[in-house]
Amino acid sequence: MDNTGKEKEAIQLMADADKKVKTSGSFLGGMFGGPHKVEEACEMYCRAANMFKMAKNWTAAGNAFCQAARIHMQLQNKHDSATSFIDAGNAYKKADPNEAIKCLSAAVDIYTDMGRFTIAAKHHITIAEIYESELVDIEKAIAHYEQAADYYKGEESNSSANKCLLKVGAYAAQLEQYAKAIEIYEQVGSSTMDNPLLKYSAKEYFFKASLCHFIVDELNAKLAVEKYEEMFPAFSDSRECKLLKKLLDAHEEQNSEAFTEAIKEFDSISRLDQWQTTMLLRIKKTIQGDEGDLK
Amino acid sequence: MSSDFEAYEQDFGTLTAEITNKIGRIPKLGGEEKTQLVLNVDKQLEEVRELMEQMDLEVREIPIQSRAMYQSRLKSYKGELEKLEKDFKRSRIAYSDEVRNELLGEEGGSSESQLIKLREERAHLLDNTEKLERSSRRLDAGYQIAVETEQVGQEILANLNTDREKIQRSRERLRETDANLGKSSRILTGMLRR
Repeated sequence: MDNTGKEKEAIQLMADADKKVKTSGSFLGGMFGGPHKVEEACEMYCRAANMFKMAKNWTAAGNAFCQAARIHMQLQNKHDSATSFIDAGNAYKKADPNEAIKCLSAAVDIYTDMGRFTIAAKHHITIAEIYESELVDIEKAIAHYEQAADYYKGEESNSSANKCLLKVGAYAAQLEQYAKAIEIYEQVGSSTMDNPLLKYSAKEYFFKASLCHFIVDELNAKLAVEKYEEMFPAFSDSRECKLLKKLLDAHEEQNSEAFTEAIKEFDSISRLDQWQTTMLLRIKKTIQGDEGDLK
Repeated sequence: MSSDFEAYEQDFGTLTAEITNKIGRIPKLGGEEKTQLVLNVDKQLEEVRELMEQMDLEVREIPIQSRAMYQSRLKSYKGELEKLEKDFKRSRIAYSDEVRNELLGEEGGSSESQLIKLREERAHLLDNTEKLERSSRRLDAGYQIAVETEQVGQEILANLNTDREKIQRSRERLRETDANLGKSSRILTGMLRR
């Protein structure tokens, strides 16, 4: 009951605000305290948007926030404009992902203009997440994650940059862009292995890099594993390295049973996640494919 | 509850081992020694029967979920006890092994005691295997938990690193803002003077 009342109020406020903006456009309005009217209209748009949010009318809320943002731009309040665009984006996220992306991109542009790259990067990540989940456009998601990682690198936030790069790597490998994935994982691995806080995660990154090498070519994988062991001695003690060696042997002998055995053994101790299982399946197919070729 | 049961099982094991040992020796001996040994075995069988009754009571007190395992064990023990009693009776009226040996040669006589020994060994070995399996299962579970903990730890460390950088950046910005505020306040005081 309360919410529908709020919605009516909100619609009323929108209409009022629209009128205010129109009247301020005319010459007379501009004479008699035009800017105040525009600011008031702006505030009214924000209030209306919040009321729409309460009534869960996300599209209307997003719309209202967008209007507010545009007025802020007119008033040269870049910061406020960007914040309103972000609010609009969040509201649209629940209803219309495309609109959300438009608003968020506008906000990102303003932020990069102002030189606030960290916030811009954060919102790139939000956009990438929308592409990941709602619109399932992996290419664009990768592009945004990469952009975010670059901005973070520029701002010396290496952890956040690594987080984005890892996502890029995972999706690149899924889309079979193995060279890119390998490069990313090696880079992240080498940078984390020196850091005492992060070195325990380094072995996972090398494992992923080796898996990608493996899909491309078995010999590459062998060389890569040796290289990583040299760089990072703790890698050779890990169960992942032992699994890799077993898989390499099984692949050499074209023995898919030994392959599956080794994987099952590893899985019984620590579950393999979705990405890893997909990669291992691809490798397994190459074994069976070779068997079929009758070399 | 189950630890009592296990203590009873151990006692059962030792007693049955002794009984079978003595049963094996009874036919070979004669006269005084034989009657003594027979009485001995009788007493021990009595003890074993009492043990069985106590184990029975124990099993009844165990909750229904785990009862099945103990009941099956109890049944096998009862079977063993009955076999022992039969062997005992047989040994009391059996001709000594030596006579049979003379007739049939070594293999015929020793097969009986061998069977008893084998059965007994089998029971012990099964027991041991079960204990080993239980221990290895527990170790595996422990290892799994350790690995999971390591993974959780990795994530936490990565998060901490990100947070650390955020805090450092905020501190830098704060210092900058502070410097700017200082400058602005100086300018304002300058303006006030003029």
